[in-house]
Amino acid sequence: MEGSSVAEKAVLRHSRIWRPEIIEDIQAKAELGRYRFRGFSALLSRALPSFDDLTFIPCTLTRIPLEGYREKCSTKTVLGTRFARKPIELDIPIMVTGMSFGALSYNAKVALARAANRTGTSTTTGDGGMLPAERENSKTLIYEVLPSRYGFNIHHMKMANAIELTVGQGAKPGTGGVLLGAKVSEQISKTRDLPPGVDQRSPCRHPDWMGPDDMVIKIEELREATDWQVPIFVKMGATRVFDDVKLAAKAGADVVVVDGMEGGTGASPDVLLDHTGIPTLAAVCEARAALEDIGLYGQVQLIIAGGIRSGADAAKALSLGADAVYLGTATLIALNCNKPIYVEDYHKLGTEPYACHHCHTGRCPVGITTQDPELVARLEINAATDRVVNLFNALCAEIQMLARSCGKADVHDLEPEDLRALTLEASMIAGVPLVGTNKVFGGGPGWKRAT
Amino acid sequence: MEKINCDGKTSREINVEIRQLIKQGTPKIQVLSPLARHNLAVGLLEPVELIFEGSVGYYCGGMIDGPQVTINGSAGWGLGECMMNGTFIVNGNVGNSAAASIRGGTMVVHGDAGARAGIAMKGGLLIVEGNCGTMAGFMMQKGTLIICGHSSDALADSMYEGTVYLGGEARSLGNDTKVSEPDEPDQNFLKRTLLQFGISADRPFKKIVSGRRLWNFERQEFEIWKEVL
Repeated sequence: MEGSSVAEKAVLRHSRIWRPEIIEDIQAKAELGRYRFRGFSALLSRALPSFDDLTFIPCTLTRIPLEGYREKCSTKTVLGTRFARKPIELDIPIMVTGMSFGALSYNAKVALARAANRTGTSTTTGDGGMLPAERENSKTLIYEVLPSRYGFNIHHMKMANAIELTVGQGAKPGTGGVLLGAKVSEQISKTRDLPPGVDQRSPCRHPDWMGPDDMVIKIEELREATDWQVPIFVKMGATRVFDDVKLAAKAGADVVVVDGMEGGTGASPDVLLDHTGIPTLAAVCEARAALEDIGLYGQVQLIIAGGIRSGADAAKALSLGADAVYLGTATLIALNCNKPIYVEDYHKLGTEPYACHHCHTGRCPVGITTQDPELVARLEINAATDRVVNLFNALCAEIQMLARSCGKADVHDLEPEDLRALTLEASMIAGVPLVGTNKVFGGGPGWKRAT
Repeated sequence: MEKINCDGKTSREINVEIRQLIKQGTPKIQVLSPLARHNLAVGLLEPVELIFEGSVGYYCGGMIDGPQVTINGSAGWGLGECMMNGTFIVNGNVGNSAAASIRGGTMVVHGDAGARAGIAMKGGLLIVEGNCGTMAGFMMQKGTLIICGHSSDALADSMYEGTVYLGGEARSLGNDTKVSEPDEPDQNFLKRTLLQFGISADRPFKKIVSGRRLWNFERQEFEIWKEVL
C-alpha cells in the first residue's frame, strides 16, 4: 500500500543534462552516421548575450527629446565613402542580406528585391550568382563574390552598385555553404555549373587568395574591374572580430560587414549553427573598437548582421557603432516563414509552425526556401512584397521613435551613452554602465565618435 | 599595334591606358616591362589582343570575357581567374590558382603551374605543359585540365564533374577520383588540342574523372566521408 501511494505521487523527473532534445539528437545521429543539417538560426537552449540585455535611457531633464510623433529624424544612410566614386545612398539603415537564389525561391528573391526598392534600400545576391529579375527589381544591388564563385559573371558584377567580398558568415564561420540535392533543380544546376540533384557544398576558402595580404590585391582587382566606381564590402562571420575587422579595413575595404552567430542560413551543419562564432552584441562592440583602434571609425562603414529582429535591435546596433544592419531571417518571417498556414505540410516535415527550421529540405510549406514550383506558387509576390515593405517601415519607425526619445534628429547620432546594461555581462561586453550603478564593468569598446 | 611602356606607371595607370586604347578600337596592344605588377588587364570584355613582354603579378586578365592574352614571361597567382571566355598563352610559369573558377576560354601554360591549378573550374580548358603543384583540379565542376607533366598531391580532389588528363605521374590522387585509360576519342581530342599549341601528345596520358561517390551523402560510405566531411 505504501509503495503504490508513493507511485501515485511520483512526478516525472527530466535530467537537465540528458534533455529530450539531447536524447533525440543522439538517436538521430545514431541513425544517420553523419552530422545533422538544418536551416534557420541558432537553436541553443542557453540564452545568448543580446541586445535585449540593453535598454535605452531617453531624455528627461538632462537632455531634451524630440517630439516623438512629429519632428524629423533622418534615416539616410551612406556607405562606401572611403574609396568608391559612387557610394551607396540608402533611405533607411536596414538592408537585405545576401541569400541566394537556390536557397530561396524565385518569388522570395523578387519580393525582397521589390521591397528593398520600395523602401529605398538594397538587396544582395547570395551564393549562386545574380538572378536577372533581382537586378531588374533592385535600384541598389550588392553583388557577392564568394569562395564558391557559383554563377560568377563579370557582366553581372559590373552592373552592381557595390561588391561584397565574402569571407564568411555568422551561421557557420570558417565553413562554406550547403545546398542539398533536393534544391539543386535543373535551373539551379545550370546557374551554378553543377550536376542536378547533387549535394552542393561550397568551399570556405577563395580559390585565388588565402589571407589578408592576398586580399589587399584581390580588393584592388575588384576595384580595377569596376573602375573604382563602386564600394567594396568585406563580409565575415563574427569570430576574432577585433583583429579580423582591422585586417579587412587595412586591406582596403570601404565597408565591413560582421555577421554574428545568430545569423541565419538555408542549410548548415547543426553543430556549426549552435557552437561557432560570437553573439552579434559582442561583434558590433568589437568591430567598432577595432575601427577606432586604427583610426578608421567613421571612414570605414560598419554593417551588423545576425538575428536583428526589431527596430530596437537595430537602434541598439546603431548606438553601439553600426552604420546599418542587414536583415535576413526577419525578412523571411515577414514573407511567411513559420506562419501557421499549410499546417499539414509542416507536419509532413515533422515540425510545426513557429518551430520550423527545415529550409534545407527544399519542402518549405510557404514557398520561400524551395525550388518546387507548386510550393513556390504559394508565395504571392505582390503580397509578399507588401509585407516586407511594411516590416521595414515599422522597424524604421521604431528606430526613429527611439532616436527621437533620446533627442536625436538623425538615427546615426545614437550613441552608447544612450544605453544602459541590464546585466553585468552586457555591461562588460558593450562598455555601457550597468543600470543602477553608473559604472562600466570591464573595459568595453570605448565610444569616441569620429569627427 | 600600339605599345604601352609600364616604366614608372602604376597598375591603375596602365589599365586606364589599355582601356583607352581598346575604346579607340586598337585591336592589338603590346605591354612592355610589366615587371610583375598586379591586376593588369582585369575585367576586360572586348576581343582585344594583349601581349605582355615580361612577367605579370597576381590576377592578370582576371574576370575577362573575350581578350587574347600572351605573356612572354611568368605570371603570379590567379591568372585569368573567373574568365568567361578568351585565351591565355603563357611562355613561362604560373603561380597558384591559375584559371581558378573559369567558366570558359582556354589557358595554355608552357611552363609549370603552382598549387591549385584549375581549382573549381566551371568550364573551359587549362593546359599545363610542365608540372603542377598540389591540389590541381580541386573541386572542379566542369571543363578540362590537361597536365602534360607530373602532379603533386591530391590531384583532382573532390571533383563534381569535368575531366583531368595527366601525362606524367601524380604523387597522390585526391578523394573520389576514378582513373582510366583514355579511349580513342580522348586520344584524338588530346592530339588535336595539344598540337594546335605546339605541344606533343606523345605521353602516356591517364584520364581522371569524378568517382561521384561524394555527390550525395550516403552513410554507407563513411570510409570516404571521414576524409572529407
